[in-house]
Amino acid sequence: MTQYLITFRTLTQAQRAARVLERAGYTVTIRRTPAKLSSSGCGYAVALRKQVSQAAQLLKERGLWTGKLFRLEADGDYREVLP
Amino acid sequence: MIYLDSAATSLIKPASVERAVLQAMRTMASPGRGGYAASFRAAETVYACREAAATLLHVNDPSRVIFTMNATHGLNLAIRSLVRPGTRVVISGFEHNAVTRPLHAVGADVRVAGTRLFAPKELLESWDTALREAEVAVCTQVSNVFGFVLPMDELSALCRKHGVKLIVDASQSAGVLPVDMEKWQAAFVAMPGHKGLLGPQGTGILLCGENGEPLMYGGSGAESRMQSMPASLPEHLEAGTQNVCGIAGLLAGIRFVAEKGTERIFAHEHKLLQTALASLRDSGLTLFTGEEGTQSGVLSLRAEGLDCEELAAALAEKGVCVRAGLHCAPRAHESAGTLETGTLRMSFSPFLTEEEVQKACALLLQEIR
Repeated sequence: MTQYLITFRTLTQAQRAARVLERAGYTVTIRRTPAKLSSSGCGYAVALRKQVSQAAQLLKERGLWTGKLFRLEADGDYREVLP
Repeated sequence: MIYLDSAATSLIKPASVERAVLQAMRTMASPGRGGYAASFRAAETVYACREAAATLLHVNDPSRVIFTMNATHGLNLAIRSLVRPGTRVVISGFEHNAVTRPLHAVGADVRVAGTRLFAPKELLESWDTALREAEVAVCTQVSNVFGFVLPMDELSALCRKHGVKLIVDASQSAGVLPVDMEKWQAAFVAMPGHKGLLGPQGTGILLCGENGEPLMYGGSGAESRMQSMPASLPEHLEAGTQNVCGIAGLLAGIRFVAEKGTERIFAHEHKLLQTALASLRDSGLTLFTGEEGTQSGVLSLRAEGLDCEELAAALAEKGVCVRAGLHCAPRAHESAGTLETGTLRMSFSPFLTEEEVQKACALLLQEIR
């Protein structure tokens, strides 16, 4: 199943987003953002595997959407995608 | 031992607090610093504590709950964020040195309004006048010396009316009385974790209506390439590794308070106050007490011709723990006319019983006879 990452600048932003998604029934995990995706260094991401468009919409409604969504490709690399 | 000094630190904690501290010490690493389980466990605990505090204290966003080392730290942060040299600041006549010293250090133009003990109506009238020329107001919700409950709902409404930014010192009220960030629309509300919230020493909370300016700069686990602190709360104001063990204990304390309810806790402490007053009435002691609804579970008293420190020392020998002197609040003693003598203070907690209060009062009466 495809893995997506929504990246955040801080841990707390990622935690807030994760809570909103969990309460809406999503299965998510918080993880460190891969270094190559983190231009300012040391970020956190919320990882999820499905219904990413709806998740993005929910975060937009709550003012928590960062606009940074990445998809894990078959070659192990991440590509920025639109929700 | 009979512990009557919960206004300084609540020594008797729920058992869950001790367990949580120990568990954190054994299993939690730095929050927001690693990608492994022990780090995420710490991060989850810290965030859960933000959420629990936000719910109890009526903050709509857990990111606006900042962890500090105590209330003094939070008050310094708040005051340094809003006050510049010459800023006109209104304070009550019952403020702690944690408020007055930072204001003095900054060089604020401080005006004291409302100095009569247990006179909320008079205090509101004084504030309505004083706030006209002010930019910032700092006010305790409850006097740490006398337990005087200041009318914070009305004071905050006056601040909004006059467009004055409000900093609340909730050191004596958090966990005992409603602390309502949303209702007050305060710029900041500071409190310790180790008093009414029943957490360990070394913990505190600052609720932020504004973003504030950092007192300390350093690692935040985020945006490490930047030389400025992250712009968003709470990382903006939290430099360095948090006191995870303390926060884990604080979370347990907050959960206890939330489960018990501040109304029940206040009612219990009020009952203990009445017990003490009944035991000490007609004893010749000067008891500082107000009308119904104006006093929390704190009682200051004075014995004519006796040094309050020596009286407290004599009680300590009998296992009764009280606090004497000026309680780091000379402004409050000045207002009450007790600056030269100080007072002996009893302060109550959720775990204290009526029997203990009666016994402590009996020992006190033995000492003054």
